[in-house]
Amino acid sequence: MKRNMAMLLSVVLLGLSLTACTSSKDSSNDLKASPKPDSSSTTPALSGDDLAFSKFPNPVDVHIGMVVDPTDKTLPEGDSVSNNQYTRYLKEKYNINVIVDWTAATGNDFKQKVSLTIASGKLPDGMVVDDRSFMTKAASSGLLYDITDLFQQYQSSQVKDIMASTDGRALENASYKGKMVSLPNITVDTDGVHVLWVRKDWLDKLQLPVPKTTSDIEKTAKAFMDNKLGGDKTIGIAGPSKNSFPYSTFLLSSNNMGGFDPIFGAMDAYPGYWLDNGDGSVSYGTLTDNTKNTLALLADWYKKGLIDPEVGTRDNVGDPINANQAGIFFGPWWNGGYGNGDSFKNDPTANWQAYPVYSDDNKWNAHMKTTGSTYTIISKNAKPDVVKAILIMNNALVRDEATFDLSVAVGWYPLRNVMAAANETEYEYAELLKVLKGETQPEDYNKPNSLYKLMYADAKKVKDVIKAPYDDLNVSNFNTANFGDFQRLYSIMIGDRPFTTIPIDKKVYSVTYNQTPTMETKWANLKKMEDETVLKIILGQAPIDSFDKFVKDWKAQGGDEITKEVAELLKK
Amino acid sequence: MRKLGHQKHYYLMLLPGMVWLVMFSIVPMFGIAMAFQNYNPGAGLFKSEWVGLDNFKYMFQLNDSKTVILNTFIIAVGKIVFNLLIPLIFAILLNELRSLRYKKLVQTVVYLPHFLSWVIMSTIVIGIFGYYGVVNTVIGMFGVDPKLFMADAGIFRQLLIGTDVWKEFGYNAIIYLAALTGVNPNLYEAAAIDGANRWQLIRRVTLPALTTTVVLLGVLSLGNVLNAGFDQVYNLYNPLVYSTGDILDTWVYRLGLQNLQFSLATAAGLFKSVISFVLIFISYRLAYRYADYTVF
Repeated sequence: MKRNMAMLLSVVLLGLSLTACTSSKDSSNDLKASPKPDSSSTTPALSGDDLAFSKFPNPVDVHIGMVVDPTDKTLPEGDSVSNNQYTRYLKEKYNINVIVDWTAATGNDFKQKVSLTIASGKLPDGMVVDDRSFMTKAASSGLLYDITDLFQQYQSSQVKDIMASTDGRALENASYKGKMVSLPNITVDTDGVHVLWVRKDWLDKLQLPVPKTTSDIEKTAKAFMDNKLGGDKTIGIAGPSKNSFPYSTFLLSSNNMGGFDPIFGAMDAYPGYWLDNGDGSVSYGTLTDNTKNTLALLADWYKKGLIDPEVGTRDNVGDPINANQAGIFFGPWWNGGYGNGDSFKNDPTANWQAYPVYSDDNKWNAHMKTTGSTYTIISKNAKPDVVKAILIMNNALVRDEATFDLSVAVGWYPLRNVMAAANETEYEYAELLKVLKGETQPEDYNKPNSLYKLMYADAKKVKDVIKAPYDDLNVSNFNTANFGDFQRLYSIMIGDRPFTTIPIDKKVYSVTYNQTPTMETKWANLKKMEDETVLKIILGQAPIDSFDKFVKDWKAQGGDEITKEVAELLKK
Repeated sequence: MRKLGHQKHYYLMLLPGMVWLVMFSIVPMFGIAMAFQNYNPGAGLFKSEWVGLDNFKYMFQLNDSKTVILNTFIIAVGKIVFNLLIPLIFAILLNELRSLRYKKLVQTVVYLPHFLSWVIMSTIVIGIFGYYGVVNTVIGMFGVDPKLFMADAGIFRQLLIGTDVWKEFGYNAIIYLAALTGVNPNLYEAAAIDGANRWQLIRRVTLPALTTTVVLLGVLSLGNVLNAGFDQVYNLYNPLVYSTGDILDTWVYRLGLQNLQFSLATAAGLFKSVISFVLIFISYRLAYRYADYTVF
């Protein structure tokens, strides 16, 4: 009985622990965003980059919640999350004391902690959240600081340029109801462009051409499997795991390693995206006939055994790729190099190459991503000096990231939220090629405060990593002695080659990358239905005709209502 | 008062537990209010807008809620039944063993999985039932095509129940084994003299001696009818088996912590608590009536 009581209570707790510390009744909540005139931190005469990198006369304590990678072993003995080269740098240069209130492991642990922190209404001064819904939930609950004015004042020229490189999309992304309430993450556009990764060395062995269309891919995958190039358990095409998705969506519009995005693109299908029909109406890309046809194709491949039989249930997308069992997978530029380092360690001849997948009428269609998907949020209760400190920390990261000793993972930088020019990778690809060919010198890129902050560092090491000839880069051109440098340059020079050198015929943007009001309550249900239907069709557990029933149910259970809301957005 | 003074140290020992109970079980009870609000973390529990039973109405409108309640019920009942029967059979078999050392060894070995958390166990289970796992290798020898067990909604519940019983039966058998040591050996001797064979000994002596324990455990587990095991399901499921594997707890987790629908998640949690409470109440009465078991 006691055990059962305890169980009952813990059950009650499960549902209710969310409120465990909600009694935040302190009425001092009406701190306004406007900086207090008496904030004695900086001399008012400073402006521009002087202000953006100014040092506080008195130490400023910044309390943060932080994500940590539990497998990271790069912190030197004696250092800790709140005392390491990055925190000491901030203390020394800007008089900022970083105080880590809590840490949580990457992934679900961190999401859970953020979720509970928001539910309790007591945010640390700053934290980086990895889902827009966290930011909007906190903002709509009135928990966030309106940084609109302070950001204008304190952004460095570099940050300003990077923000500008997105044509205002980053600012919109970081705003809620017209107020800037977070620092946006700005990542390279190519993060959202998914390409075909294929083992060129396997193609060469079988004397096959590079596959271009979906039917080429089918033949190639079959040839890989028939010849058992990856051993007895050769997988033609690797696919998503139990934690990843068959295609990226408007809410998670980039970095979908192992998804089938390019296949959908080649069939002119854009599932998960809100499509502008051109006549003032919108449709949800998953519901289209093209999506249905693509699913039928994928189901056919699965049935033929070309797709990883364990698709959708694997723990980790990268496993079969790193074990060199798979010959083909899909993903953005960094998936080869950064994303599959172990594959090269296990087989130094694994010549992963990236190509677009074309439609049968020879078009490259790609869906495009939003500017970034993580957000630095600042508590409404933070003091103006603390807000300024967080803005300075961001400026400093953007300017100095390339100069840090990266043997300590840069993830330990407090409140690290990447800001990169949208075309940084393309720029680096073109310029690094010039450096390799001797057309320019590394010193030409020694420009402080450059928009392309990593360019100079990369230019200095590119010749150590890549050997001639430079026209047709293969894995054999690369020196893996410094594996981190190898991974970065492999991803840029090979992974980003398609996006840099081949124009996309049709770029598809989602009408919105954010949730509408009705989605807040109904999307979870619709998304679950979609995930389930799509995977079941691909795995042959449901007939392709079940798709029609899904469309009907989806519309009836709130989908139509949401479609109307998205159409409203289009009118604006 | 003198009596109290005499027992002071007992109350002192009780104190930490009581403080724990108040802090973590009584105080959070106020959070139940969230189920009847459109909870806004910024406004807090006292200023959020009250919406009556809207959250409950919405919950039951969702197709999910029916699926989830049904799944929870089937999985939990399956676990209750098999977690009663298998350990019982196992305990009786073990009791019949002559070699004491072998008996102890077996008991220890089957007891071990109980100590592993589902985070670890799930990896083992996926390894066994995976595409290249033991099971597929064995059935492959007989020419059967490999099957993706973890993605098969048709057998996911059986898999959950089976692996749970496998993990826990050693532990659950302990209570039966303890009850068996309490059986008077004279009864066996007398029965043997009367000419009973081993099967008859089990039927006429061992089983009757265990009846009370079985009834008691069965009745007490009624309160678990909506506890299908969050840890296990969360670590083993995937979207392909949502239709048969998604349970109330995982649903609440996804709603509340992943989709930030705090009020809806609280409503679902409260719903579960209320049903569980009624069942515990009933089981307590039944335990009193059939097994003469009381706490208070």
